[in-house]
Amino acid sequence: MPSKLLHRFFAASARRIGGVAVLAVRAALRTRTVAALLVLLAACVLVLPGVVKGDGTPEGELHILLTYTLSFAFGILCLATLWAACALFAAEIDSARIQLSAVKPVRAVEFWVGKWLALLVMNAVALLVVYAGVYAQVHWRMYRDGWEVIERPVSRHVARPLLPTPREEAREIFADLQARDQLPSGYSERTILRVLEQKAHEKYSEIPPGGRQAWRFQLRRPLHIGEVIAARMRFETEYNTRTQVSGICRLSCVETGRAVEVPLDDFTLKEIEFVVDARAFGQIPTEGVRAFELSFMHTGDPKRAAGLLLRFRKDVALLTPGGSFWMNMLRAAAVHWSVLALLAAFGLALSVCFSLPVAAFVATMLLVLTMVGNSVVQVVSEEDAQKWRNRAGVLVSRVVHSATRRALQAKPLAALTNGERIDTDMLRTSLGWNALLFPLLLAAASCAVLRRRELADTE
Amino acid sequence: MPASKSPVIETRGLRKVFRDFWRRPTVEAVKGLDLTINDGEVFGLLGPNGSGKSTTIKMLLGLLRPTAGTIRVLDSAPDDTHAKACIGYLPEVSHLHTFLTPRETLMYYASLFGLSRAQAVQRTRELLAMVDLEHAADRAVGGFSKGMARRVGLAQALVNAPRLLILDEPTSGLDPIGSREVKDLVCALAKGGVTVLMTSHLLADVEDVCDRVAILDRGVLCAEGKIADLLRQPDAVRFEVEGLDEPDAAAVRAELEARTGRRVRQEYPAMSLERYFLQVVAQDGQQRTFAMAPFLGATLSAPETAPTPTSNSLPMT
Repeated sequence: MPSKLLHRFFAASARRIGGVAVLAVRAALRTRTVAALLVLLAACVLVLPGVVKGDGTPEGELHILLTYTLSFAFGILCLATLWAACALFAAEIDSARIQLSAVKPVRAVEFWVGKWLALLVMNAVALLVVYAGVYAQVHWRMYRDGWEVIERPVSRHVARPLLPTPREEAREIFADLQARDQLPSGYSERTILRVLEQKAHEKYSEIPPGGRQAWRFQLRRPLHIGEVIAARMRFETEYNTRTQVSGICRLSCVETGRAVEVPLDDFTLKEIEFVVDARAFGQIPTEGVRAFELSFMHTGDPKRAAGLLLRFRKDVALLTPGGSFWMNMLRAAAVHWSVLALLAAFGLALSVCFSLPVAAFVATMLLVLTMVGNSVVQVVSEEDAQKWRNRAGVLVSRVVHSATRRALQAKPLAALTNGERIDTDMLRTSLGWNALLFPLLLAAASCAVLRRRELADTE
Repeated sequence: MPASKSPVIETRGLRKVFRDFWRRPTVEAVKGLDLTINDGEVFGLLGPNGSGKSTTIKMLLGLLRPTAGTIRVLDSAPDDTHAKACIGYLPEVSHLHTFLTPRETLMYYASLFGLSRAQAVQRTRELLAMVDLEHAADRAVGGFSKGMARRVGLAQALVNAPRLLILDEPTSGLDPIGSREVKDLVCALAKGGVTVLMTSHLLADVEDVCDRVAILDRGVLCAEGKIADLLRQPDAVRFEVEGLDEPDAAAVRAELEARTGRRVRQEYPAMSLERYFLQVVAQDGQQRTFAMAPFLGATLSAPETAPTPTSNSLPMT
């Protein structure tokens, strides 16, 4: 009996949420909002790739399609979602239409979830249309220009070198500086550790002529017989002497003890990638192999060639097959969708508190502050941050950065363009934080306000 | 209305002070209102503009929060969802979503009451028939006249078959036939046990349908009671006689004056304009059937013919 009552309660609640969601979708469809948005997105997907000139290579075209076009379309959707969410409650309260709904037995949370779901559904459709459009364009260009197999977009698992985490490295350096009594004065331990950790991410290490560097890898997904593995190195080197750089890369499988050596002499494109068939590593067991070592030996002339500069954490990688490209696009779309879900929740929260103009203004300002704040945190030096006139700005930027770090850490387009599979962790984190936890907090706050707020005025 | 019936609405010491952005008080719209509305009553809330009628109604519905005092609606707080499930509300301005059709509007509000799709479809069909909007059921409400929009508003107020119906100026924007239909509907609902609270500037409307009224002025309750009690003139008696000719009327008058020693006034009563209008419309080649008739469970014919011009009314003072 109680379960029957519970079922009836949830069924009625679902109907109320569905009713609110359908109303919001109808409002969007019948007030030309969606039509205007579709025109903008169509222009973005169809016109932008033709207007922006690439370098003529398939890689360049892919870059324009996957980075510029999708970024632009996503930007449009972000603003549209934010402003639409700001309008959903505010406009209804301002026009007094909410009075008719608020006197019905609808809970604040049902209102909120209904409107949020409407935005989620519309965003999912819009993203699918945009991504399908870009995917079709990629294929059309691929067949029109006859791209080589190696030039076609792919999706590959990425393995980075096994190195201490930036935090561990920062602690190590801090301990070393402390032991040598060389810690900078006037800064707290926390500040020094934060700066060291930031620097560890972007730290370049040099491989000088005659030098050798090796990295160990543990693949997340084992490499099986019949598959290929690619090694990729990105680097900086002095422009004038880069033709003098040469080296030997050696990729060895720890489990089978077999290695492959590849001599390299073209370092003009700042990136080198070579592919090795798994059979080259000898008898691979049926469960596959995971442990590899990659080494690079600089064989250039010490008098004429400069060293190679690499960020080990970012620039060295082993790549193994990771599903299809379209599946990777779907994963990127899911990450984008989760960010839009967060923006929708944020806009709704503002919409509950303010009138439409105020909510839209606050939302836009906070968006700008988020973008500026994250840039400030990355570029401002600790010395500048200590100056009194910068303190307030840096403090605000750091607070914004801390609050939005988790929401913005997923970079699906960079991975998509680089042919890297958007891994499940990134997807899970983005969906968990942006489409679940943050919206849950915002929903709780919104409902508390909605329950307290008077929904009618003196008229 | 028997006094033993339980109160459906009860307010005690209800006050509402509106404040500006800086929380400074701007106006005290309701000042210590004590009101009791019993089950099955049709109660009229009267008062000039700005007297606090709409503010009181919005507090009863939980749209505004009282500054002081208590409110019980259907034995619950005004924002209780269980109580809300039994309330129908028609605001002074209908506030409908203009991009929706009447059918979609009613389906939407039915969904807010948690009605299943089949129930909602059935209820929508009945209500559209009741307010005579079947022919316009799939046109956007934005293109409707004020009267048609009002009918949609009325239909949405009845979507849950409410126990308590709150109508803010229900006849505003309606033509005399529509007004009459609404009043008939209110009477029919009251007969079915629904409690109705209505406000109106049209005192004749209130007089036609309400059991009791309260008169508010500047937020203060000035009078309250049964209409008959409030309007009774205890020191006057009125006789109405049909078909009395002039010499007989003069004789009756003289006799009364002689017996009572008081002055007797002789009048020839006129029908109300509403009644005359309805009669003209009914005679205009059509025997009109009110659209609400199926909902009320009876066919309402046009109003009966007016009294003959020879009728005399004799108030005795």
